[in-house]
Amino acid sequence: MKKLSLTAAILATTAMATPSFADGHLRIVDEPLELTIQMNHARYPIYEEDWPVEQVARELTGIHLKNDTVGANMRTDENTGRTEALNLMLAGGAIPDIVGSSRIRDFVNQYGPEGAFIPLNDLIAEHAPNIAAYYATRPDIEAAVKASDGQMYYIPYLPDGKYGRAYWIRTDWLDALGLEMPETVDEYEAVLRAFKTQDPNGNGLDDEVPFFARQWPELIRLVTLWDGRAHGSDTYHDFLVEDGKIGHGYLGEGYRDGIANLARWYSDGLIDAEIFTRGSSARDFLLSENLGGSTHDWFASTSGYNRLSSEIDGFEFKAFAPPASPSGRRIEEHRRILVKPDGWAIGHTNEHVVETIKYFDFWFTEEGRRLANFGVEGQHYDMVDGKPIFKQEFLDAGPVNRSLYQVGSQLQGRGYFQDYNYEIQWSNEFALEGIALYDEGDYLIPDFLGVAFTADEQKVYDRTWGTIRDFMLERQQSWILGSGDVMADWDGYIAQLDSMGMQELLEVMQSAYDRQYGG
Amino acid sequence: MVDRNTGIGGTPVEEVVVEASEALRDRAKSYTPDSSWARTVDHFKREWQLYVMLAPTIIWFLVFLYKPMYGLQIAFKDYSIFRGVANSPWVGLEHFQVLFSNDQFIRAVWNTIKISALNLIFGFPAPIILALMFNEILHATFKKTAQTIVYLPHFISSVIIAGIVITAFAPTGGIVNIILGWFGVDSIYFLTRPEWFRPIFVGTGIWQEAGFGSIVFLAAIAGVNPSLYESAVVDGANRWQMMWKITIPSILPTILIMLIIRIGNIMEVSFELVILLYQPATYETADVVNTWIYRQGLQSGQYDLAAAAGLFNALVAFVLVMTANTLSRRYSQTSLW
Repeated sequence: MKKLSLTAAILATTAMATPSFADGHLRIVDEPLELTIQMNHARYPIYEEDWPVEQVARELTGIHLKNDTVGANMRTDENTGRTEALNLMLAGGAIPDIVGSSRIRDFVNQYGPEGAFIPLNDLIAEHAPNIAAYYATRPDIEAAVKASDGQMYYIPYLPDGKYGRAYWIRTDWLDALGLEMPETVDEYEAVLRAFKTQDPNGNGLDDEVPFFARQWPELIRLVTLWDGRAHGSDTYHDFLVEDGKIGHGYLGEGYRDGIANLARWYSDGLIDAEIFTRGSSARDFLLSENLGGSTHDWFASTSGYNRLSSEIDGFEFKAFAPPASPSGRRIEEHRRILVKPDGWAIGHTNEHVVETIKYFDFWFTEEGRRLANFGVEGQHYDMVDGKPIFKQEFLDAGPVNRSLYQVGSQLQGRGYFQDYNYEIQWSNEFALEGIALYDEGDYLIPDFLGVAFTADEQKVYDRTWGTIRDFMLERQQSWILGSGDVMADWDGYIAQLDSMGMQELLEVMQSAYDRQYGG
Repeated sequence: MVDRNTGIGGTPVEEVVVEASEALRDRAKSYTPDSSWARTVDHFKREWQLYVMLAPTIIWFLVFLYKPMYGLQIAFKDYSIFRGVANSPWVGLEHFQVLFSNDQFIRAVWNTIKISALNLIFGFPAPIILALMFNEILHATFKKTAQTIVYLPHFISSVIIAGIVITAFAPTGGIVNIILGWFGVDSIYFLTRPEWFRPIFVGTGIWQEAGFGSIVFLAAIAGVNPSLYESAVVDGANRWQMMWKITIPSILPTILIMLIIRIGNIMEVSFELVILLYQPATYETADVVNTWIYRQGLQSGQYDLAAAAGLFNALVAFVLVMTANTLSRRYSQTSLW
């Protein structure tokens, strides 16, 4: 009897929750349809069938996703990998109906043309009006997701909002030393030097770490302060595109000058002596120990450290505009990329291709997008003046993005269009203030959105790029650490890169780029 | 591996053998099987327990060592995971050409050999010396405590070991640099200096494994016949002489077998520790074949190239272990096979 009443209670709640969207206009199938899914979200490597978001999607569309995930994508390295689980799935021989993952683009663009995934161009045109409407407004993004055969093999996760990382500084240290916010690279250097020598934390020890970074490639990004370029996209050491020409930051003279200056900064102690080995806890450790002065990191998470003001007297960590280079340019190289290489695809054994693309399209409808971004109405957010506003208890339950993953929202392995409003609601005042500052200055530059290779191009890339990248990084670190002089070594370095096939690689990238983005 | 009829004084080995063979003969008489098939069945009936005990090892070899050999062919193919091992097209020696025209791969091969050679020179004697030292400790509690302490690092995961090493060698606040500071030495960022990588890596390996590795030698020492020591005492030998004249010669077969195994593993540097400790700045000395395979092959999905490199690795190791075994058999009559 008890069981029965429990079931009844659940039925009753479901019944109460359903009416608002019970009109059925989003329904795809009359009879409930089950589709299997592999889901490798970087932070949640499984598809939970009892996520509230999945349950509502099932209610609305009639399509029920069954978890069929093998393996987990390990986060060994920010720049590579994360496709181990996909490789494992493919090697196992059975591809589920839907495959969703972080870093799925290169994978589907390689194996899609071989027949492992369903090409989507025609399906989108015929059955996915909402996705088609989105691509009609963003042809650049449509080009970026295509494989070398011109087909789309996945529906991407499309981040919203422009800003990612920014320059941060201890403004209370500036005040303590009577310094102004640095506006140029020379002023920035003077500030870092003052942090190093004038004991801003006031403990009498020479223990301050003027510049630090959680990921050491963020140090390399400082070459933009001398008109160099480092990372062409949100992937470290990536190629860059300028006026339709593919290049690489580590080949430029601005980079050379920047590295020379960073080597000087390093030897003067302006940069964390342990920058290459401190690792991901650098920010946490150096800020909470009252040692770190300045960094280059994400708006949302970094602004959160201002909570330390309850422990460290006067603690204030604020974003500041990118300092101007000697030639007067101010750029912020990092931005939230327009289209992630994440999303989902249809496996070649799927027998319900049309239903699946309609299901993908559902997430681009107004209701689907809201579901993907904010969770379930009434449970996680309420509609206030036509806008989804998170419930207070949901905001208070810890980091909001993590809470959302746990209910099945904001999954990077799902193709959907992010709504930046979700993030604004839990960004603190320091983040919002910083974003306003960056908005005003318009410091962002275009990203390289990546290219899809033909098999022959892929061969050239495979043969050359790994070796070239290793060599570049090896030289880069040793120049900064002072074993070798970048100015003296430069010509030999460029010659060595050419002998490793750099020019051939650039030509291949260029031809792929021209094909994909129409030259 | 060792001729058991000699060198084990005091045990009536020959008597045991004679008894056993007589028993077998009696049994064979009483059953009088009419064919070899029946004899085989009969043999399994009698000895099935042994085969049951052997089975897990055989299965392990089949599943994890012999079956994967089928996949080795991808070293000669343009492998696509989707097309599978059998359906990927052959490309001959293309991957090997790529490997040997790659300076970084060649450098990784040399780095592997250099690190392994250092490991062999400094790392191989360490557990033997440790075992001999333990053997000389008379105080039981002290001996047990000392053994436990040196065994412990073996049970710590490489990730933790790397964390300890990175912290200990850190330029600010690392214990090593603090101590160097007392002697007026400027702090050194050890883990970004190519010349320091090998000493740190080999030293870490010894610290981690010497204790645990000494167990096998301690076991060998325990097997030495006590009467040898007793008669040496009667002859007036001191402990030092007993160690040189009795203990070491007695465990020499064990030492040689361990050495051959070690040489067979020469291409296998514990690469997870390398990955945790190296930096682009130290690739010059730290990049070994397996880390190179990991970066170029696995991270960028070039399984065929990685398989080619792995096959090369295995060939080198095979040649080395064959050579070591032959030499050992010729000069000391001790060998793996």
